[in-house]
Amino acid sequence: MSVLQKIKRIDGFKIITSPAVMFVFLLFAWMLIVYFYNALPAFVREGLATYFKNVWQATEEASKEHYGLLAAIWGTVYTSIIAILVALPLSIAYSVFVIDYAPKKIKNALIVLSDVMAGLPTIIYGIWGVFVLVPLLQKYVMFPLHKHLSFIPIFSSPPITGYSYFSAGILLGIMVTPFASAIMREAYQMIPFTYREAAIASGMTRYEATKTLLGYIKPAIFSGMILAFGRAVGETVAVSLVIGNTFNLSIGLFSPGYTISSLIANQFGNAFIYEHMLPALYAAGLALFIIGLAVNIAGLYLFRKWEKNVRI
Amino acid sequence: MSDFAIETKKLRIYYGENEIIKGIDLKVPKNVVFALMGPSGCGKSTLLRAFNRLLELNKEARVEGEVLILGKNVYGNGVNPIDVRKQVGMVFQYPNPFPHLSIYDNVAIGLKLNHLVKSKEELDERVKWALEKAFLWDEVKGRLDDYPASLSGGQKQRLVIARALALKPKILLMDEPTANVDPIGTRKIEELLFELKREYTIVLVTHEPMQAARVSDYVGFLYLGKLVEVGLTREIFEKPKHELTEKYVTGVLV
Ligand SMILES: Nc1ncnc2c1ncn2[C@@H]1O[C@H](COP(=O)(O)OP(=O)(O)OP(=O)(O)O)[C@@H](O)[C@H]1O
Ligand SMILES: [Mg+2]
Repeated sequence: MSVLQKIKRIDGFKIITSPAVMFVFLLFAWMLIVYFYNALPAFVREGLATYFKNVWQATEEASKEHYGLLAAIWGTVYTSIIAILVALPLSIAYSVFVIDYAPKKIKNALIVLSDVMAGLPTIIYGIWGVFVLVPLLQKYVMFPLHKHLSFIPIFSSPPITGYSYFSAGILLGIMVTPFASAIMREAYQMIPFTYREAAIASGMTRYEATKTLLGYIKPAIFSGMILAFGRAVGETVAVSLVIGNTFNLSIGLFSPGYTISSLIANQFGNAFIYEHMLPALYAAGLALFIIGLAVNIAGLYLFRKWEKNVRI
Repeated sequence: MSDFAIETKKLRIYYGENEIIKGIDLKVPKNVVFALMGPSGCGKSTLLRAFNRLLELNKEARVEGEVLILGKNVYGNGVNPIDVRKQVGMVFQYPNPFPHLSIYDNVAIGLKLNHLVKSKEELDERVKWALEKAFLWDEVKGRLDDYPASLSGGQKQRLVIARALALKPKILLMDEPTANVDPIGTRKIEELLFELKREYTIVLVTHEPMQAARVSDYVGFLYLGKLVEVGLTREIFEKPKHELTEKYVTGVLV
């Protein structure tokens, strides 16, 4: 093989992209190592209790300090689940409306609007949450539910301030909807017209046809939900304004709580005062990594399984 | 009740300002294979989609005139298009079973949604019946829970036929059902047509005159949105009255 041929065989794109991919991968590994290394003292000191115990004793006497992140981990998972339960119907409805029902003129306006919503600084949502959403939810949703259905455990805690898992979850759900719906909208729009024809020609109503076609884009709906979950887990500013920032471990929707992100944001400033707090916060960060990774791997696994069955 | 399965009166179809179907009066007798042939773009698919009001999916499309299905104008006041579509099944140019539904569910979905069966047993029976009618049962009976991706193009198309038959229609519209099917699959579908026409009226769109000659009893030649000639297939192929038809069936006109 001549040199010229050899040079031709080298794929230019491969040369440019490989280092970039390596770089991203190394960066990821590096961050993971930094977090793990810095969290290590917490694991050595508290063992598994770092993640499986709810305790937050910050004192000047170093020997009495104890940090266990369970409340924050629970808060993160709980609020994120509420968020995707809110975002799922909202984003599906929005996607279907924009593609099928919105008149041509406002269709693009609606798409731009949702993209703008996705890009808004989260502090904007946070302030709106504090002054508008939480008071409304407290008055019209939480109080009535608590009053009439307090025998159900999730409604049992009184909505004293309104700042709660519930408020944070709803706000998060609204915030992540534009992201989820962007993915679903694309997928929904790409469905070949022939399947809509097939559905309608089989005597389905418009509603039934839409439902059938949504089954076709199930993987996209799924991806949208995973993306939404990931964003909800990582969201910090808005959540810390409406969740109440209390080391609480409750199934009660209306109890205040903490999330990992809001915990780190709130406590990081003080962490240097105490001897053992910083490793605990690193361990909290590591927990975010793990949750993010677990959700994405689970998503990928389910997606593969689906893909194996339904090759289109 | 009318003697004809389908009858159109002064049928005109527009996409926006463009007149695609330019005044067609057509009569399709019952229990025959009626082939609609014509070159690409002459309006075959458009005309076919007027018969089950599927054109309504296209906001640009506008229909004038009448389409009588078994004597009843489907564009008349108060006609529910869903009732029309239960009587008039459709098979498409691209085999389109729902990829995310199992073979079984592809046949069952219309039955379930329209509450046409009362029990699971009846549903099972009807699915089997439809798959048998479509000559597909023997090939799929052991894997009803598989997805259509595992089927060949011809099998997919027969699955679509089964999906349509499950609703027990009177008429089957087929828009170039073999266009994306290999020769063996094509032969099977053509054989199936002979069987099906005993009970159903079939309107078959094709752009191959040879296929029309092989399988149809009647044929209509559509050219630039006008029906140039209609009649018994044998007569049209043996002695076409119109010069255009002759050119088309001999392959000079494409
Ligand atoms: N959705 C649409 N909007 C506007 N014009 C259309 C639309 N669909 C088809 N047409 C036009 O209508 C005419 C007839 O199209 P039609 O699909 O009915 O032809 P056809 O005979 O089925 O052709 P083929 O053999 O290629 O399938 C063509 O000129 C086509 O460009
Ligand atoms: Mg066509």
